[in-house]
Amino acid sequence: MRTPVDIGLLYSQGGSYGQMSRACRDGALAAIADVNADPGSRLTLTPVEADPKGNLDLYEPLCARILAESAARHVVGCITSSSRKEVIPALERGRGVLWYACPHEGFETSDRVVYTHACPNQHLLPLLHWAVPRFGRRAFLTGSNYIWGWEMNRVARETLTAQGGAVLGERYLAVGDTGIARLVAEIAALRPDFVLNNLIGDSSHAFLAAMAELRQADPAFAGDACPVLSCNLTECELPVLGRAAEGLIAVGPHFAGERGWRAATDSGADSSYEAAAYGAVRMLARLIEETGPDADLATLLASPAARDFGLDAETHHMRLPVLIARVTNGRFEVIERAGQVVADPYLTRRERWPAAPRPALRAVP
Amino acid sequence: MIRRLPTPELGGATALILHRPHATVQALTRQLSAIGLRPAHDWPEPGAAALAADFVFFDADLCHDAMFPWPAGRAPMPLIALIGSEAPGRIEWALSAGADAQMLKPVGDGGVYSALLIARQSFETRRRLADEIAGLKARLAERQTVVKAVLLLAARGKTEAEAYDQLRALAMAWQVTIEEAARRIAEPPEAPEEGGADVRRR
Repeated sequence: MRTPVDIGLLYSQGGSYGQMSRACRDGALAAIADVNADPGSRLTLTPVEADPKGNLDLYEPLCARILAESAARHVVGCITSSSRKEVIPALERGRGVLWYACPHEGFETSDRVVYTHACPNQHLLPLLHWAVPRFGRRAFLTGSNYIWGWEMNRVARETLTAQGGAVLGERYLAVGDTGIARLVAEIAALRPDFVLNNLIGDSSHAFLAAMAELRQADPAFAGDACPVLSCNLTECELPVLGRAAEGLIAVGPHFAGERGWRAATDSGADSSYEAAAYGAVRMLARLIEETGPDADLATLLASPAARDFGLDAETHHMRLPVLIARVTNGRFEVIERAGQVVADPYLTRRERWPAAPRPALRAVP
Repeated sequence: MIRRLPTPELGGATALILHRPHATVQALTRQLSAIGLRPAHDWPEPGAAALAADFVFFDADLCHDAMFPWPAGRAPMPLIALIGSEAPGRIEWALSAGADAQMLKPVGDGGVYSALLIARQSFETRRRLADEIAGLKARLAERQTVVKAVLLLAARGKTEAEAYDQLRALAMAWQVTIEEAARRIAEPPEAPEEGGADVRRR
């Protein structure tokens, strides 16, 4: 006898960040199919879907509707941090839980959210620690005009300044805005050592295409000079970027072919977004089997199975591998493995930060 | 101008919650632990460890001055008021107790992190201003000493302006404030005891 369990899915199937959204949705649906196909599982999962179409104002009412009109208490969904913050009041009212499968900027540990992708000590800090000794200390920061771009660049500025680095420029675009000429002109004029790209979706694609053109036109940017670094670029966006993706550097818990993260190996997913959403549903199903379909989140997270998955009951975040990869011939090639890192969403636990690079030893003449 | 706040060093800091056992205490404890602080809870009397806490959350509904092991309004750490009754009297008391930030009860899913940052910022501003005011008051109180020192120096045949310049030069040479230099001139120390240190007393 299998217990039926409704699972909410709140992903936009269009809009300016549709690739990420579809990757997460594919991962969640694949996990639901795998649980249902597993003869050993005691659950039958039914997706209850709503599509906010990339409209920030639709997330909260649609989340409330899922919780009101179905038996679902757990919703897998949201791409942007703004939308996640929008749905939290609906989750509180409807006693629901959001499983959030995207990298985020940290400084949040809602009692109603489980975060299955990385936060800054698992993406931004290790990326900067790796990049500065290789490329230099002069950075240009860019991002989409909302909490992700703002807070990521604030942490980047603080980290770089502490390492004696400099921020040459910082520029933002509205989500969906593709007017990147001025931004690229500034980068061309300033010639930073690297660019940190916290733009998302269409803005990011337009920016990366323009940077690829700049590399053709300006010898100062040819080849590997002035690389563009990202904390949210995965395989799911490579098809729309095409050749413009060559040389991009990204950090993440998983890249295609890696085997260090259970959510990724079980799903066979290429993109870490897909893997994180897949892992969220598989974990949830396992924890419900352990504790019963009506258990509250604290009970789910206190189960030993949660610890086995690397889910920290205190912060609601995951222990994750940290990988740095460069796009070469259309696929990510991992160039650095920084091991497993426990999340520190408020950047208050230094012992969880990547080790600062050792000063290079110089021969004394 | 934007004041840039560095990501504060909150890891391992202690936060004391002065509130009767209640869901609000659980909600605060969860948030504090997630942020990386070490929460402690006391009611009704704060234990000896209260003075060592880095932050204190207090119940504005039921706490009173006598509960705190420090003079009213003079807490040595940032205080955060937990306000239930939004009555003028209670808010007035919370302010007089020295609340640097507040949270409304019931405490739910968020609010602790911003309360910690705001409380610390306003506590530090308040303490810096208090130090500055104390310094200025001390200097004002020394006006008479400065006048006395200038008159003493002027009595050796200088004009008042020359005497004042000399006082300033002495202060610079001794690397002390003008007031301190004036005190040394106007109130010379007693002769040091044999073998004793040259202790200057007022």
